[in-house]
Amino acid sequence: MNTLARSQSFGALIGVAVMLAVFTAIDFSGWWTRATIANVIHFAAILGFLAMGQALVIMTREIDLSVGSVYGLTGVAFITLTPDLGVTGAVIVALLIALAVGFLQGIAVVKGQLPSMIVTLGGLFTARGIIYVWTGGSVHNFSEDARADWMTRLLGGELFGIEAAILWLLVIGVVLNLMLWATPFGNRLLATGGSEDSAESRGVLTDRVKIITFMLCSVLAGFAGILTLADRPQTHVTLGELLELEAIAAAVIGGCLLTGGRGSLIGAVLGGFIVTSFRYELIALGAPSSWFITFVGIVLIVAVIFNQKLARRLGHSV
Amino acid sequence: MALAALKPLVRRHAEIGIFLIAALLVLWFSASSDGRWANFYNLASVLQVTATLGLMSLGVALVIGTGEIDISVGSTFGMGALVYLWLALRVDPALAMLAAVAVGAAIGAFNGLLITRTGTPSLIITLGSLMIFRGIAIALTEGFSFSIPYGDRSGATYWALGGGDLLGINTALVWLVVILVVLTVTLKMTPFGNRLLAVGGSASSAHSRGVRVDRIKLAAFVLSGVLAAFSGTLEAGKLGFADGSMGRLMELQAIASCVLGGCLLAGGRISLIGALVGAFVLSSIQSYLVVMGVKPQWFMLLLGIIVVAAAYGDRRLRNWSVTR
Amino acid sequence: MPDKTPLIQVKNLDLYFGAFHALKNVSVDFHSGELVGLVGDNGAGKTTLIRVLCGIHKPTSGEVWFDGRQVKEFHPKLAIDNGIETIQQSVGLCDNLSIARNFYLGREPVRRIMGIPFLDMGKMRDLSTKVIREFGLRDNVSADDEVERLSGGERQSVKIGRAVEFKNRVVIMDEPTNHLSVREREHVNELALQLKEQGLLVIYITHDIFQVHKLANRIVIMENGEKIEDALTSSMTADQLEEVIRQGGRKVEKREAV
Repeated sequence: MNTLARSQSFGALIGVAVMLAVFTAIDFSGWWTRATIANVIHFAAILGFLAMGQALVIMTREIDLSVGSVYGLTGVAFITLTPDLGVTGAVIVALLIALAVGFLQGIAVVKGQLPSMIVTLGGLFTARGIIYVWTGGSVHNFSEDARADWMTRLLGGELFGIEAAILWLLVIGVVLNLMLWATPFGNRLLATGGSEDSAESRGVLTDRVKIITFMLCSVLAGFAGILTLADRPQTHVTLGELLELEAIAAAVIGGCLLTGGRGSLIGAVLGGFIVTSFRYELIALGAPSSWFITFVGIVLIVAVIFNQKLARRLGHSV
Repeated sequence: MALAALKPLVRRHAEIGIFLIAALLVLWFSASSDGRWANFYNLASVLQVTATLGLMSLGVALVIGTGEIDISVGSTFGMGALVYLWLALRVDPALAMLAAVAVGAAIGAFNGLLITRTGTPSLIITLGSLMIFRGIAIALTEGFSFSIPYGDRSGATYWALGGGDLLGINTALVWLVVILVVLTVTLKMTPFGNRLLAVGGSASSAHSRGVRVDRIKLAAFVLSGVLAAFSGTLEAGKLGFADGSMGRLMELQAIASCVLGGCLLAGGRISLIGALVGAFVLSSIQSYLVVMGVKPQWFMLLLGIIVVAAAYGDRRLRNWSVTR
Repeated sequence: MPDKTPLIQVKNLDLYFGAFHALKNVSVDFHSGELVGLVGDNGAGKTTLIRVLCGIHKPTSGEVWFDGRQVKEFHPKLAIDNGIETIQQSVGLCDNLSIARNFYLGREPVRRIMGIPFLDMGKMRDLSTKVIREFGLRDNVSADDEVERLSGGERQSVKIGRAVEFKNRVVIMDEPTNHLSVREREHVNELALQLKEQGLLVIYITHDIFQVHKLANRIVIMENGEKIEDALTSSMTADQLEEVIRQGGRKVEKREAV
């Protein structure tokens, strides 16, 4: 029990349990239906990618506000480039674009010695601006051929009745967890966030760690965008707007401390699950869609305060 | 050699950079737009946008001065506008303005109390309240209409609260100038201002000298909420209507103005006039794109690049000014 | 001076930072007109103890009495208002403010114009200029310069000058001679003695037992959050006291081994 309470995802686990109990109590028939659960899990999986990326960045004591725009930009690139490059080519180029955005932001943060909040705020605008200018506000669609492509089905189809996005999340989630907790890179990432000076004094190239983490975050966001569109191939210019807020909320709910060095990828995914569940339950209860934003805000504030208190109780200095 | 003599000046006044940029932009825009940008009508509208964005930026600059950040101002702006429009016809425009400002103060107090009492990062708390009040604003406008018909907008109060012009320029500018002077004097010449900057420079040092750090921060957040809501009131007074998305992304522009104006995000070093010129530069660029017939979508792209470039330029300028 | 009531009385003080037990049941008295050396190794709890006295930390349990009254609320402002001036090691000056503004931070002199309190910059400049000249800062440093420009020794001089200028009843010096030149160090030690002669309580924190033994009339030794010795300098030599510190260290090691 003690080890469980010490893990950073403890708060998120409690949150999920409480949330499920409450939803069951107030809306049993509406919540526990196959359609609702399937929808929630699908979109929670998509948000899970963004949340994990955000969690990694937060663990290095930075923040990435651009993920919503990168999600949109990569998705738009994927759809728009498919007619010219084919589905596989478009996926590769779109992910390269995401990598490039992450790389540029990482470089600006570490080499320009700028606060990541400002750099990624700029990234948020720039990437969104590129979407507007590139598409000119028009809507793009997938051809029948592209829909039937093996790559599209690999990314947006189903396997044994389970949606591809969920399987992808499981695979990538396991890989990232191994990377974070079982490789030297993961160790250096946590050290960079925990105490940059100490990490540097032990020869860790903290600049490189941060750049790689920003690239990981962007590519995860971009991949989530591609997964969304492979399933429902239609773009619009506002794709992924405000998603950065949901991703940060998910990571914070999942126990990532903004003071760096501590966090949990599983917690971040659970946080994404909580955020998405709220969206669907509010819709199911007939609340206006705008209340969702309000609720995410409240959940974010409650979660950050709760996790902070939990961390202080455990004796961390935050 | 001549440049080296400027170093002490730049060290003390980081806003010099933005003044130069503003001057160059004005020259360039005037020269290249064939009179479409530099005419009285267009400049008056640039100044009106500057006034509302500038008021918001002043509040954000004060919060940045304490080493915190307030990104909830976009929603506070929207709430201020809605409260004013809701009450102006039903009660009285002056009281409506006071109510809007009170709501802004309440949102600021909400942020400030949560941040100081729980010791949580202001970025997350104000991100949360940005979403909370945006959701509330949209929900409100889905059920009710918020507008004052043009014919009802008569009387001195409407005129003074952004609804009229003085010498052809929106009255919001007068408010901006007055508030800028008051805040600058407060910041530079009163104990409160001294303590505010001390808190941002080193909260622990300020604390050890007996400064009530939490109170100073709370006051800064309340001021920021008040200014954002008041600026929303002025915008509503000009437009006469509002929807739930009013003020969206303005929080980001306000932060951009502050960074452009040489406010250090780490706290302790801010320039109110710099933040204001930053707001002027942003609204000038926006209007230039419009009059030149460039798709407005480009503004967002440019804004992103400008923010990062400004932060980088500011950093370089500071580094240069402290080298020997 | 056992007949007088102590100016500061600390009773059974405990302080935790999260799970870390920083002060363990510390009791100690301080009287007016004393110069007390507070000695111990790094992490012994000296700085934590005086941070309670000057109101930065609130104790977890235990009592602090000042001038016969129990202190209920802990804040630096109350301590300063009560006449406790502290020269801290790491904090005390804001880099972004000028010397004059730092000097009066927290109790700025004001001139009211139409009821509005404006800073009395003239007064702030004059007094801080006088002090920085007295402490021999470089001639080209003026009261309007930002603290960022100052060297470590100059910063320390500003802090000490400020504490001396505002002296009231207690002056606490936390490692005051760090970063100072020999000449500056002698000046500071002289000042500490002068303050004591004027009837103030001076608490002088250092890890250099030999330096403070010459100065203080009483030595309090802390180790691992506990007070392990409290003796008049007339009753123990510096060598004896140093041996106490060594003993304390060994005792702790033994306990941890069990």
